[in-house]
Amino acid sequence: MFSLRLALQSIFKEKWMNILSMLSIGVMLFILISVAIVVYNVEMLTAQLPERLTLVVLLKEDVEGEEIKAIQTAIRADQTVKSITFVSKEKALEDLKKVFKKDDFILKGFGENPLFDSFDVRLKSEGVKKDEVKRLIQNIKSIHGVDDVEYGEALMDSIYALKGGLRALGLSIGIIFVCSVTFICYATVKILFYRHKDEIEIYKLLGATRWFVRVPFFMEGSIIGLLGGAIGSGMLLGFYSYFIKKLMVDIPMFTIISIPMQFLYMLPVFGLFLGLGGAVLALGRLKY
Amino acid sequence: MIILDNVSKTYDYQVALSNISLTVEKGEMAFVTGPSGAGKTTLFKLLYLAEKPDEGTLTIAGFNAADLKDSAIPYLRRNIGVVFQDFKLLNNKTVYDNIALALRIRGIVEREIKERVHSVLKMVNLRHKADSYPLTLSGGEQQRITIARSIVGEPTVMLADEPTGNLDEENEKEIMKIFKHINNKGTTILIATHNRALFENTAKRVFLLEGGRLVKGEEK
Ligand SMILES: Nc1ncnc2c1ncn2[C@@H]1O[C@H](COP(=O)(O)OP(=O)(O)O)[C@@H](O)[C@H]1O
Ligand SMILES: [Mg+2]
Repeated sequence: MFSLRLALQSIFKEKWMNILSMLSIGVMLFILISVAIVVYNVEMLTAQLPERLTLVVLLKEDVEGEEIKAIQTAIRADQTVKSITFVSKEKALEDLKKVFKKDDFILKGFGENPLFDSFDVRLKSEGVKKDEVKRLIQNIKSIHGVDDVEYGEALMDSIYALKGGLRALGLSIGIIFVCSVTFICYATVKILFYRHKDEIEIYKLLGATRWFVRVPFFMEGSIIGLLGGAIGSGMLLGFYSYFIKKLMVDIPMFTIISIPMQFLYMLPVFGLFLGLGGAVLALGRLKY
Repeated sequence: MIILDNVSKTYDYQVALSNISLTVEKGEMAFVTGPSGAGKTTLFKLLYLAEKPDEGTLTIAGFNAADLKDSAIPYLRRNIGVVFQDFKLLNNKTVYDNIALALRIRGIVEREIKERVHSVLKMVNLRHKADSYPLTLSGGEQQRITIARSIVGEPTVMLADEPTGNLDEENEKEIMKIFKHINNKGTTILIATHNRALFENTAKRVFLLEGGRLVKGEEK
């Protein structure tokens, strides 16, 4: 308890330096958490991507009856497939007519139904990797009676590439900011430590243990980190309620953005650990 | 008890102590004297482990100080009350807090601290100065505060470095009275001084240092 009092006293005595440190930590953690939110959202959205993707398996013209059943069974057997629906060429035409509605004269020009029988194949949402989708497509293509498989390959490729890039970017920003926050705590505690050097010398001469001398500084680092994190959370909350909410009203696309509110509690805790880490680094090699 | 056996210490190129062997018995009061620069303060620093000897062995308060683990140093220091030549008081803390610090670092509860601090303040006649700051006190008063801090932890050995450094005779007598009182309660005391008046008319043992050598370790 005496240690805590020492820590608080020392924080108040150097309040401007400490406030400055806390603010910078707050800003950094806010940026860090914003990046995390962007990555999180992209991950969430793309996690459902394979499910949203429907493979359209086009059959050859002369495939009929039993053969169609056999193909369906073969495709369904694959573990990545969630469901498969047969779409006859008549049904396909109906659907198309619905799309064009009044302009169905376009279709009338074809006379006989120009479409093919096909399957709509839906994939399981979780754990389906890009490579597995590719393998599935290869397999289906090799089945006798299948003409071609259509899917949004280019779209999927670019989304996966974007996701990979974003992850790497998020990770590097994360590492840089974690290091910076730790460094600020390290420097702050180091400065506080040097300001109290004579005092600490006296403590040691009177028989204070190394722990007794260090604990107030560990506490200081933790408190600075904690409050920095709280400032970051405050900024996140403010940013969320004034900016994102407005955007959500104006541009419907933004309603899909979700900010997990656990982040608000996590940030101060995260700051606390970084602060403690910085303090430990600053005093780690205290000698007698 | 304090035992030095063949202890030498050299700072960079300056020899501070060479081949010192001496013994101070348990409960004894003894003096170390000699001109300025003779090595008195260095001898004390070796005893409370602010410095390590280059050679020799030291025993103090039951600890083998020459090869003590770093983690054991605080516990050695709690058994030694040191009156520093330059006081080493915290000027931004009250007299009370300065003395209480020696107990707080031991994790003693505040209630007991209060009792013990007031009791040592009474012993040095400075009860009314508990809430003053060190720099508002006279030299003699600061000296007595330092003594109070050194004994509040009830050490078995006390080291006093020039405790009457630049005090008038009045204060000198006062302080020697305090030391005698502490010594009578069984504490071993070693006093470094260049003031012959402190030991001239006593039967105490006096060690005379000159240029880092023990010239005389006599029974007077
Ligand atoms: N930290 C130090 N670094 C270098 N030389 C020192 C140091 N401390 C003391 N000395 C030298 O060691 C010798 C003994 O000093 P000291 O023990 O302070 O003597 P005294 O206390 O008897 O006046 C002196 O010559 C002094 O200059
Ligand atoms: Mg000296």
